[in-house]
Amino acid sequence: MEFDLKTIEALAPDQASLSAASKLTKQSNWPRLEKNQQLALIWGECQGSGSNPYRVVFDTGDHGYKCTCPSRKFPCKHTLALMWIAATAPASFAAAGSTPEWVNDWLGRRKKAASPPVATTPGAGGKSIGEAAHDDERADIEDAAAVERREAAQRKRAEDTRSSVSAGLDELDQWIADQLRLGLAGFVDNSSDRCRRIAARLVDMKATALAGRIDEIPSRLMALRSEERPDAAIRELGKLVLLAKAWRSAPDDPELRRLVSTSESREQVLASPDATQVESAWEVLGEKIESRRDGLVSHSTWLLDLNSATSQFALLLDFFPASAGRRSNAFTSGDRFEARLVFYPARHPLRALVADRKGDIASGDWPDFSFSISDPLADHGARQDTAPWIADSPVMLPPGAILLDDRGAAWWQAAGDPHGIALPIAGTINPTLLGLNLAATAALWNGGRLDLLAAQSGFGRLDLS
Amino acid sequence: MNEIELTGLAAMRDCWITGGTAFDLAPAAWKAIAANANPDERERRLLAIAAQALDIALRPAGPKALKRRPPLPELAMPMLPERQRPLLRAALKHAADARFKTRVATLVASRGFVLHPMDWMPAASYQEIPDVYAPWVDWQAGVDGEKQSRREQLTVETWDDFYPAARRTALADMRRTAPALARQLIEAKGSSEPAEIRSALIELMGVGLSADDAPFLKSLFADRSGRVRELAGRLLARLGEHGNPGDGGTEDPTAELAAFFAEGKSGFLRRRTTYTPIRLKSPAQEARRGDLFATCYLRDLAAHFGKTESDFLGAWQFGVDDNADLFLIRMVSVSGGEAAVAHLADTLVAEGGKPALLVLHLMARLDSGRKRALIRQILKDTYDLHALNQVEGVEAGWLEWDDLTNGQTLPALHSAIAGNDEPLKRSADQILETLGFLATAATAEKLIGDVVAAGMAPAAPSLGLLRLNASLAGPGIDT
Repeated sequence: MEFDLKTIEALAPDQASLSAASKLTKQSNWPRLEKNQQLALIWGECQGSGSNPYRVVFDTGDHGYKCTCPSRKFPCKHTLALMWIAATAPASFAAAGSTPEWVNDWLGRRKKAASPPVATTPGAGGKSIGEAAHDDERADIEDAAAVERREAAQRKRAEDTRSSVSAGLDELDQWIADQLRLGLAGFVDNSSDRCRRIAARLVDMKATALAGRIDEIPSRLMALRSEERPDAAIRELGKLVLLAKAWRSAPDDPELRRLVSTSESREQVLASPDATQVESAWEVLGEKIESRRDGLVSHSTWLLDLNSATSQFALLLDFFPASAGRRSNAFTSGDRFEARLVFYPARHPLRALVADRKGDIASGDWPDFSFSISDPLADHGARQDTAPWIADSPVMLPPGAILLDDRGAAWWQAAGDPHGIALPIAGTINPTLLGLNLAATAALWNGGRLDLLAAQSGFGRLDLS
Repeated sequence: MNEIELTGLAAMRDCWITGGTAFDLAPAAWKAIAANANPDERERRLLAIAAQALDIALRPAGPKALKRRPPLPELAMPMLPERQRPLLRAALKHAADARFKTRVATLVASRGFVLHPMDWMPAASYQEIPDVYAPWVDWQAGVDGEKQSRREQLTVETWDDFYPAARRTALADMRRTAPALARQLIEAKGSSEPAEIRSALIELMGVGLSADDAPFLKSLFADRSGRVRELAGRLLARLGEHGNPGDGGTEDPTAELAAFFAEGKSGFLRRRTTYTPIRLKSPAQEARRGDLFATCYLRDLAAHFGKTESDFLGAWQFGVDDNADLFLIRMVSVSGGEAAVAHLADTLVAEGGKPALLVLHLMARLDSGRKRALIRQILKDTYDLHALNQVEGVEAGWLEWDDLTNGQTLPALHSAIAGNDEPLKRSADQILETLGFLATAATAEKLIGDVVAAGMAPAAPSLGLLRLNASLAGPGIDT
């Protein structure tokens, strides 16, 4: 398993990668570092800039590697950092008897190199580990005047952005009024073109997040039956009005800024005094990976707090370019672990970052949550009271079952209440679900459909995402 | 939301759908909020109120009639432990089709566990699944009503309380332990079932078939279903009875079939009778011979030459005409007596090589021991390891390490794994999957180590079933 720093130098694509890797060699960046001597493998989880940690595996035998980050440099800085730690502090790696499933998955798909790795590559010239290690120190030396200039420029940029977004929202207001005047029937039919046009304008006016949301309206409408679309259009456009009004009254509100223009960086969230921190046991309920019209892929991982008396959720949200290809999942549905999560400041904190991931814990049943039997969407209603612009809400449904209507569409209905509230389910379901009594069901409610995530049943945990 | 607001919302909604100004249609309370603004702003404010009303105050109207399926029954075996499920899912993912997935379920059932219903469900049409899944097959078949898959005794009285799959399983069990009782049940209740189910019931008579069944089988010649009559005839032929009561025709198909073979002698000292297929002159002749093989019975053909079934088969010259060999084997499979089937299987397996592979066509009639003997022979010969995939109805988890080292199987696998021939590698993958089904847990573990040492990736998907097998190492498994 031994290899030296020269090998890392040789494999690095450029000096910048080495410099970036040197910053990631701190133990605190790596909640998990493991090795399997027999298979000549080292792997780890590195907390990168995204919500989810990146999973990195390196074959010390043939120098094959895999990282879940979207970087187009090969190997990426995470892989280089993992190798660097292995070369300089091999004791940091805990010996593991078996390999995790994601490592097995990679091993199963890769083709072993026929020949042993080469010692050096022509591209190795001009790169230096020693120089990379000193980059950090140089970066720390910045004079006070430069800092002042940088901050002033930042303030100016923020002011410009605010003015631009405000103008963009004026255009949006006019656009919404136009849709009502022209008729929502026509809007539903041409929503793709119309939304694309206003979204493009909003991107120009720096309301990027809002543009992304508007771009997704057509696909949300088309997922519904035609008779439901006008009501859905009213819901979607009405929430845009509310969001625009809320932003105008408090443009510096972090939640509203995130929904309209841009999101805070990971470092800003971690440093924010308003960010709620929750240290608890979490279960991965499921993941939703959606390709968006703006060319990004949104990767949502939903977590459930297992130590809370009421159902509390957390959302790890990442975006990456669709052109970067399919990414491996950071978590597997059903995974349980102890972690400290930092929530993005919001009226109902939901989006979070994993600040400190601790060990995995054993699987089991969910806690007994206190359910609202009379209105399973009560939590959704409560969120709407204070943040009416929210489109999707996670809900924990009481005991119930999945039933079919005459058209073969699936509905969730509470147990023991055949005439009570029934909620339509998005997409198709596994027919086996129709025979299972669900003790509790975690799902996302978008105002028109339930998107199932996971459930507890007499047959144990069900992965429904 | 009150009635006035509901009516107002509906009117505003209709107005916006066609296009226009909805302010005048809004409920008074909403108008008050929206007033004091320009016309566009008024409409936007009303839109925001309407959006929240739709989201909060209204709930989707569920249809009046929602259909509920009966609860999925629990099975008689425990569920596969949670920590084995990733291995199981990997094995199922790699299994190419329903047959291979069923093999995974069969292997797991042989170790005393059933699969989670969200991982695998048998289709209602599956026949070759472990009996323990019969309640799920019935559930899949969607039989309505309050029937349960009973574990009680199947009798004339409880017949209607069993779903078809559970009944089939119970009858097959009964044919093994109390064949007369099962026959009486089929006799009493079968006639009221549709032809498709009736023929499936008659097929079950093949289990534990004996001379006692002959009178009932003969009575089936009056059945209105041609399929049932044909089945009864074959079963009678297996008992050495005249299966076909004759269709009134003057031509004798057995004699016509016999004319396709030449009777001869071989040997210098002890002259032995031989039967050799004659060379055919046209495809039409070939087709006619195939039809005759499919409709005639072995006993009649042997009797035409004045031989017993076993003597006739002993005199048959295998290897002269492959098609004729194949048709004959199929004929033996459907109408040969037990002794003839056993004799033929033993002879061909002992011969090994290509002839042994013909025994694959007798699989439905072979007992467990002979099936194992065939597999061992295929592994020993290494003539066509692919033939392993054609072995059906064989038990899971019995193949020992010695069975693999007895021939050239392991060297053949090593060479395929180490080489660069992609088709050969794929072939090795399929063989490993089949061995994953057949091997004992200890053999599976050893085989994984062996092929990994030969260069296969430790986590190769084709090792999925072997890994699952090895993890289910007998009674000590942690549930």
